[in-house]
Amino acid sequence: MVKIKHFIQQSWLLIVASFFFGLLIAVANAALSERIEQNRINKLNRLTRALLPEAENFIALDTEIEIESTRGKKEKVQVYKAVSEGKCVGWSFNAAGSGFADKIELVVAVDKDFQKLAGFDILASNETPGFGDQIKYDYFRDQFKGAPAEELKLVSIGSANPGEIDSEIVAITGATISSEAVVEIINNSITQIKNQMQKKGLIGNAK
Amino acid sequence: MPNNSEANAGFYKDTLLAGLWRENPVFRLLLGMCPTLAVTAAVKPALTMGLCVIFVLLCSNLIVSLMRNLLKPHLRILMFTLTISTFVTIADLFLKAFVPRMSETLGPYVPLIIVNCIIICRAEACASKNPLIVSIIDALGMGAGFTLTLCVLAGVRELLSTGKIFEAQVMPDWFVPWAAMSMPVGAFITLGLLLGLVNATTGKKA
Repeated sequence: MVKIKHFIQQSWLLIVASFFFGLLIAVANAALSERIEQNRINKLNRLTRALLPEAENFIALDTEIEIESTRGKKEKVQVYKAVSEGKCVGWSFNAAGSGFADKIELVVAVDKDFQKLAGFDILASNETPGFGDQIKYDYFRDQFKGAPAEELKLVSIGSANPGEIDSEIVAITGATISSEAVVEIINNSITQIKNQMQKKGLIGNAK
Repeated sequence: MPNNSEANAGFYKDTLLAGLWRENPVFRLLLGMCPTLAVTAAVKPALTMGLCVIFVLLCSNLIVSLMRNLLKPHLRILMFTLTISTFVTIADLFLKAFVPRMSETLGPYVPLIIVNCIIICRAEACASKNPLIVSIIDALGMGAGFTLTLCVLAGVRELLSTGKIFEAQVMPDWFVPWAAMSMPVGAFITLGLLLGLVNATTGKKA
């Protein structure tokens, strides 16, 4: 009994303050969480809309798609269906993997048959400014627009016809991990998602 | 008592100026080096970080000063950390809600204000021993000093790494940007040179 009294005497301020501060954070969180979630959705929508300009609306797919990440861990992927006038015009999904400095999170868009990539954009990354973060630049990202949605190949020497869109992606430099990482993330997710969507009958078996 | 209030005013002014120069947290006390090195690649994030630190410093000094007579010596650091982390979390939520892009740029460095030594140092050295008004003035002075140094450092780095200040072009066309200045190496070199400059101008021996 004496011990409890001593404990309360010593720490009553801490206990009261914890409750008070907890309440303060709860109030701030309740007031702001809706806006924060909305910001996240807005960003995703803004990026996907730029990739699939003809889409009017994005519908989250109820079907669960699970893929193995580059590290071999099972991960759930939320796939969005891009719709225009009731018809499917494409698909988009998020993909992540490790880059040079930190995790790279991408949003990837493909056409309605999962045949061609519509492009990708970066949700979050922390690559070296001026070097690795060139994965954000148009010259690198444009190589993916219209590329076949299958295993992409990374080459360090540009192809004979630079404007050509094929499964070859020219790296930022041969030693840049960031461009390698992007290709790896897309390769890893796209084939697995394609397979699962074909199995579940969401897209036709083209081949 | 005219003498007393005059002495008080002098003391307040002294406290305010101490943070700005004589005890400048970055140049003189060498505290809070993590944000100083990490978020000074451009002026905007540096300014945002500075304002966040001012907010947290003000709130924590205020609360600590109010409860300074109730503090148990062996529990005081715990109380400081609790207070600081509360206001940092609020500041972080606020940035995420209203300036999401800036919040992404600053990344983990906003939550890391919790372990910023300046704030703990002021809670321990000033707020837990002084009345409310002195603590608030001290927080303003220290916060402003921190923000100013961060902006000076960021100004130098942004100018050399992009040729811009506050995202407005100031360098002539022939200027070649030094990409290295926006990387950690640029932060260390700039900080080192500025520290040397401050010591040289004030004649302080290393």
